[in-house]
Amino acid sequence: MIDGTPVHAVEMKGVSKSFGGVKALVDVDLQVEKGEIHALLGGNGAGKSTILKVLNGVHAPDSGTILVDGKPLSEISPEASRRAGIAMIFQEMSLIPTLTVAQNVFLTREAKDAFGLIDDRAAERRARDLFAMLEVEVDPKAIVGDLGAGQRQLTEIVKAISQNAKVLVLDEPSTALAVSDVERLFVFLRKLRSDGVAIIYVSHRMDEIARIADRATILRDGRHVITAPLSDLPVETMIEHIVGKRSRGLSDVARGGSRIGKPLLEFDNVSGVTKPKNASFVVRGGEVVGLAGLLGSGRSAIARVIAGIEPIVEGEMRIAGKPVAITRPSDAIEAGIALVPEDRLRQGVIAEHSVASNIALASLDRLSRNGFMSNSKMREQSDSQIGRLRIKTASRDAAVRTLSGGNQQKVVIGKWLATEPDILVLDEPTSGIDIGSKSEIIMLVRELAKSGKAIIMISSELSEMLTACDRILVIADGRVMDDIDRGELDDLSAPEDDPVARLQAAERKLQIVIQKALSKSEGGTHVH
Amino acid sequence: MSTDRDTAPSLLARLGLANWRQNIIYIGFVVIFIVFAITLFDKGFLNPNNLLNIVRQTAMIAVMAIAMTYVLSAGEIDLSVGAVAGLASVTTAMAIDAGGPVTGIVAGLATGAVVGTFNGLLTTRIGIPSFLTTLAMMGIATGTAMWMSDTAAVPIISKSYSWIFGGGNIGPAPVLLIWMLVLGAVGHVVLRRTSFGRRVLATGGGEVAARYSGIDTKSIKFRVLIISAMAAALAGMLYAGRLQSGRFQLGQGDELSVIAAAVLGGTSLFGGSGTVIGTIVGALMIGLINNGLILMGLEFSQQLIARGAIIILAVALSQGRK
Repeated sequence: MIDGTPVHAVEMKGVSKSFGGVKALVDVDLQVEKGEIHALLGGNGAGKSTILKVLNGVHAPDSGTILVDGKPLSEISPEASRRAGIAMIFQEMSLIPTLTVAQNVFLTREAKDAFGLIDDRAAERRARDLFAMLEVEVDPKAIVGDLGAGQRQLTEIVKAISQNAKVLVLDEPSTALAVSDVERLFVFLRKLRSDGVAIIYVSHRMDEIARIADRATILRDGRHVITAPLSDLPVETMIEHIVGKRSRGLSDVARGGSRIGKPLLEFDNVSGVTKPKNASFVVRGGEVVGLAGLLGSGRSAIARVIAGIEPIVEGEMRIAGKPVAITRPSDAIEAGIALVPEDRLRQGVIAEHSVASNIALASLDRLSRNGFMSNSKMREQSDSQIGRLRIKTASRDAAVRTLSGGNQQKVVIGKWLATEPDILVLDEPTSGIDIGSKSEIIMLVRELAKSGKAIIMISSELSEMLTACDRILVIADGRVMDDIDRGELDDLSAPEDDPVARLQAAERKLQIVIQKALSKSEGGTHVH
Repeated sequence: MSTDRDTAPSLLARLGLANWRQNIIYIGFVVIFIVFAITLFDKGFLNPNNLLNIVRQTAMIAVMAIAMTYVLSAGEIDLSVGAVAGLASVTTAMAIDAGGPVTGIVAGLATGAVVGTFNGLLTTRIGIPSFLTTLAMMGIATGTAMWMSDTAAVPIISKSYSWIFGGGNIGPAPVLLIWMLVLGAVGHVVLRRTSFGRRVLATGGGEVAARYSGIDTKSIKFRVLIISAMAAALAGMLYAGRLQSGRFQLGQGDELSVIAAAVLGGTSLFGGSGTVIGTIVGALMIGLINNGLILMGLEFSQQLIARGAIIILAVALSQGRK
């Protein structure tokens, strides 16, 4: 400020980063001012998390400069970034659940008494002062594990601020929070802003961003698209910039061709423990139905309820017209249901075990007689799935850990196809896998629908969902807010001969529907 | 594994030992055997009687370790096996005294079933980690055995019982060897070739993935804990037959040798992989080391140190560098 040039809290210029030939960031600029809440927006794979990891010192950029408070970072490391005052608040929180709030806030910097022993009372006093100053209501003596998600998050932010954080990075902070907690978080963030803290706020919820952010930077395909004040960015414009004209991506595959049959899966007013809430829908044979919604909307909860992993508390689930009581995953398998779960490494595969034993896992009874496994049947089964799905593996005996992400996912799909299900639920089947495998999986989904199966697909990548699905259910707050035929999302004004443009037009429409559903569901919960 | 192949492809690969770390137990067994055979030749190490004695001394450890392979493979642990063996030796001896050999056998096996049910229920229904459940059960079993027997040995007079359970020989072969081989063969086939064995390995390898695949992981854990307690009870019955009496001290401290045998044999302490054959060789190796160290004339204190050092060395070699 001395010679009139303002010092930016963060100034990243011309940052590029490639991962083995894939350009994650190309010449990206990001400028964040002190006392500003700056939204960072972009679709999946736009480069948001990469640029944040560069700022946080996790990834070294291939080129570009990073100034924090006008000074270049001494080196690229998480420690150096932390010393420069950058604090990242992760979705999965870094607090130790068995310690108290005060002990967590001052972890590794504990207050000591005259004998050099830890003085928890002093820590609690200091934490209380800190909370009072920041106008946060959290009990410093409370055990962190007993707190709700909202209070944990506030504690985490206070911990960062107490370590002199000047730049606060929040990655999807609201997904785990109740509406009232989000309000409290916003009040707190505004207070920090007036204290001069720079806040980078990542979220997919446009309504939230419109309420809290001052400016926004939008990335797409690793490039900077626009930085502008929120007043210049109505929701439709934001979505247009986020979707944009994508250079790569899926071209539309031919849908239809499959004969839509009888209802195979019906939800009649089904509620789970927390989600879903009073969900009703029908999925017919030969049909791919997408569940669209943001993280935490209850999409995966619906998948888990169908597969018998979470119980139905209320309502009725019917398969082929008959009510079924599914209380365990094995009930669901018997009823012809298969779930390709979202967390591949934890829920999908046993990484240390071989491809063949993973594929066999859900159909052990089919492969054995009187309890004895038939090795020849097992070989036959794994070879047929490896061939059908074109799984690239050294052999059927190789550990799944040695396969690429896309091929691991194919192993999971193979495991479930081996059970010959009528109803297949795919939860984020393409997350973390390469573009080639992605389109293979989408094609497979269409093919399976053609063979008469009922398919439910969940994906955060809307373009994928639009490509694969015949119908899309919009989920928010555990409720089915909308049921849209895929054809309704086609924009008639988009050029007929340009499939990419048509897909993007449809994606914009779907984005708007999701955001609307979101505000509608929040409007509903605000009342009580 | 591939790095081993890259760095030392020639000799090891030609010997079919490219993944020698996995097979360290077999290599180690052979090496130690040869070393003892040469250095202890004049002390009678190779004498058939001495070798059969090694089998007699390790059979009970091996029986318990076969079951422990299942427990560890499922991602659990059973610390109560030694104490349960002692308790079963007492219940068996007392029941034989009261009602004859058949009553004794039923009582011994029932002891295992009851303890296993408790261990299983507490671990899977209430959710107490098996480490704690079985640690507590260790004290309860030993205490019960002491109380029932008044801390005295309970003699077994039945000749037929003693012959079948531990004391007898068929030709030159001790009956204990047959117990070990039969149970080993069954244990191996069930773990490798049945759907139950698959479910055990899947439960320990990735409990969530196993559950999502329709496997009732709680029931699997319950069953392996029952198997383990039943095997421990059988080991106690073998001790009782061999020594023609039941005593609470029988099997005391065996749990550590049992777990060491399984881990030496290549079973993971963290679940998901296990081999019954490796476990049996591991048990024999511990017996081999004990026997060799005694023949060398080491004092008990020195034996303990040497045995510990050899086990650490073997496990360290099998871990490799990550």
